[in-house]
Amino acid sequence: MEQILLFAVLGLGQGALIAGIALGVVVTYRGSGIINLSTGAVAMASAYAFWSLTTGFFGFTLPVGPALAGALAVALAVGVLTEVAVFRPLRTSSPLAKLAGSLGVLLTMQAGVLLIFGTQPQQAPSILPTGTTTALGLTIPSDRFVLTGLVVAIALALGAVYRWSRFGLATRAASENEQAALLAGLSPNGVSLANTLLAALVAGLLGVLAAPIVQVDSITLPLQVVPALAAALFAGFTSLWVACTAGVLIGVSQSILYYLSTQSWFPTDNGNAMPGLQQLLVFALMVVALYVRGASLPRRGDAVEQRLPAVPLPDRLLRPASVAAAVAVVALVVLPFDFRQALTNSMIGMVIVLSYVVITGYVGQISVMQLALSGTAGFVLSHLSAGWGVPFPFSALGAVLVATLLGVGAGVSALRVRGVSLAVVTLAAALAVEQALFNNTSFGGTAGVSVPPPTLFGVDLGPKADFRGLDGNEPSPLFGFLVLAVTVALGLYVAHLRRTGLGRRMLAVRSNERAAAAAGIDVRAVKITAFAISSFIASVAGTLYGYNFGSVSAARFTALAALGLIGFAYIGGITRVSGALAAGLMSTGALLPHALDKWFGIKGTWALLFGGVSLVVTLVANPDGIAGAAHRRRTAKKANSPEVFRGFTPVEAKEVVS
Amino acid sequence: MSVLSVQSVSVSYGGVHALSDVSLEVGEGRLVGLIGPNGAGKTTFVDAVSGLVPARGRVALDGRDLTGKPPHTRARRGLARTFQSSELFEDLTVAENLQVTADRPTWWTGLGETFGRRARANPAVGEALAVLGLEDLADASAHELSQGRRKLVGVARALAARPRVICLDEPAAGLDTTESAELGRRLRAVADAGTALLLIDHDMSLVMGICDHVVVLEFGRVIASGPPAQVRTDPAVIAAYLGASAVGATTGTPETR
Repeated sequence: MEQILLFAVLGLGQGALIAGIALGVVVTYRGSGIINLSTGAVAMASAYAFWSLTTGFFGFTLPVGPALAGALAVALAVGVLTEVAVFRPLRTSSPLAKLAGSLGVLLTMQAGVLLIFGTQPQQAPSILPTGTTTALGLTIPSDRFVLTGLVVAIALALGAVYRWSRFGLATRAASENEQAALLAGLSPNGVSLANTLLAALVAGLLGVLAAPIVQVDSITLPLQVVPALAAALFAGFTSLWVACTAGVLIGVSQSILYYLSTQSWFPTDNGNAMPGLQQLLVFALMVVALYVRGASLPRRGDAVEQRLPAVPLPDRLLRPASVAAAVAVVALVVLPFDFRQALTNSMIGMVIVLSYVVITGYVGQISVMQLALSGTAGFVLSHLSAGWGVPFPFSALGAVLVATLLGVGAGVSALRVRGVSLAVVTLAAALAVEQALFNNTSFGGTAGVSVPPPTLFGVDLGPKADFRGLDGNEPSPLFGFLVLAVTVALGLYVAHLRRTGLGRRMLAVRSNERAAAAAGIDVRAVKITAFAISSFIASVAGTLYGYNFGSVSAARFTALAALGLIGFAYIGGITRVSGALAAGLMSTGALLPHALDKWFGIKGTWALLFGGVSLVVTLVANPDGIAGAAHRRRTAKKANSPEVFRGFTPVEAKEVVS
Repeated sequence: MSVLSVQSVSVSYGGVHALSDVSLEVGEGRLVGLIGPNGAGKTTFVDAVSGLVPARGRVALDGRDLTGKPPHTRARRGLARTFQSSELFEDLTVAENLQVTADRPTWWTGLGETFGRRARANPAVGEALAVLGLEDLADASAHELSQGRRKLVGVARALAARPRVICLDEPAAGLDTTESAELGRRLRAVADAGTALLLIDHDMSLVMGICDHVVVLEFGRVIASGPPAQVRTDPAVIAAYLGASAVGATTGTPETR
């Protein structure tokens, strides 16, 4: 019992950090309606700033006071930059675009930190008292109490500001009804900026103070936003007090759970502590929060039209598909081996993005879980083929079936959850699957599990097949052909889907679920079908990954990698197959990053930075993505119409003239 | 026999009774008007009938009970509706908007389409566009249309399902007087062709001019019901629209807005 109490108190530190980030999330949402995924990254930025200023990373050392001021200045600078460059231009965009914008900020900041400080995790110096207190017979580091007291004080102070100041009144007005607040003479931009800065300040301060408890690297602090989002869900993205309490309690229960998992009666993973329990807890708490608070976020009366990128009818399919396939066939034979490998990686990347085209592009639901389904399919494939000796087409089909069923199951249980809430809860799910399932050595493991090459009628179709292209190296073009065939078939299927009745019903559901139901569409059936198709495509990509590398490893299917892929999908154009092609060419290990590395020596981290920045630029300047811009140019050339009549149909244009 | 039969439908939001015991019948080829002051519960009534809000009471179509059925089942059985704010599918063209309601998807057609079979154009789409005079707009994108056109497309979309009855929620709002009269003629023709219509509108000359029967709601209750000529002189109706003091002073038509 004493031990449980000790771990509960130790968990206060993590809890205070989560609570601080949750406060930042809630404050930002109230001010601008954005669910800011980069709130944890702000904590990371100021923690790094503080560490570098006190340890002489830049060649000079500052005392604690000025260093803290410097770290907070960094947080504020990030806040200003985010607000001016991302949130303000996206004010009139859909909630999903706003979410993707904050994702762009997150990726950019991670890349920035990696480029400046490297991958080595750092131990941050502590500025809180390092002594211990003795209470109830336990010896406890006193900084835990200081941190918790501080975050509670911040919550109370913020609550007082919102309740009694004019700024607080303006924020409450704007979050209730932005349109009316606008008419009442309040500036939503000013309100949004002030709240974003407040959020950055709180997250930055907690980042510096709590950094000694966790380590400072490019992943740990940014991902603290996930438990913080769970706390914010409990608070309905409105109540600061609930967000703070829930955040602290989540930290405490994670710590207690960790203690329990070290007990002898607790199940273990081959003798080691069960991985991922804390992430599973956060996911379970989110499900509870959605159940208790209802699935929808409080609606802000935003003064904007919130549409997703357009999904035009594709006019030709076979011609572009056969041209692209012919080019790929030649390239797979004549290119040097490293480019052949990059091309194969690009095609697999394209397949996984195709699953986002269906679920996000056509039905308007962001599911971060899709990459986790790929991973599941990969690991199951390894178990089926290496473990049980199931031969090629059946092992792959079995793996795809299992992962698809998992995806459909997740989809069915998430039917009531839509839009941004779905994105948040599937992010937690992806993290839980990554930590609890993929890192569990009985199922997956970071070391990787092997996948034997696919052989059909005695012919090796894998990357080590005898036919080795012009330069005689691995990978074999035969495997490239296999991947190409799958990619072209799935690409044609997804593009064709837009022309079918099912595709129309998907878009109808995306536009307006109420009207769709009243028009005779079974909204649940359409969503489940979409989840099934998307999960199937993602699972196929997972088996291709497995064959491609001859092994499956947890590192490829992380929640952060999934967020990155969604970013690439948006940049390419998330509503189109051509967008998926563009995204595939940009994805990890694909042609574009490989060419940049090979010819210009530009490494992967720069690609991450490029990805983050161009995600923001895409969302702000060209929401339809690369493919959308290309489509607009084509149609404009075809119609050869004067600019004046853009946005009118010919009929209406006639009306305007007459 | 009536096509749409609604018996004692009640809806409450928390403690507020939005609708209390409203009953109404629409017969084959009949055009029934549903009027009432703002906030009387007209849209709530349509939401309850189409299954978008939970309600007590009984809804039947052609004698088959629809109570408790989800909205899409009611729609497929032949109960169509339009929305006050059109609620078109913004990402689809006008023709596609109509196709969505005209399609009767089955596993078999879905499978066929998946493997590249082009679905035959549904004749109901062209007919519905022709009835509303919207043939020119078939390939326009829904989000490019003017407000008046959106209303008409909403009506055409309901019609494309070849329903037994359509509940029209303020189809003439946003149309000018000529357009409104034109819409009235088209609606009358639809009713005369056999489709039952329930028309909600604030345009009294439209409602009184084309309806066979008018039902008046106030504060969620039916306060009058009968042929237009009778309803327009009903003291309770005049009181609801103009205030109690107007009763007796006025013998003419109740004017709104």
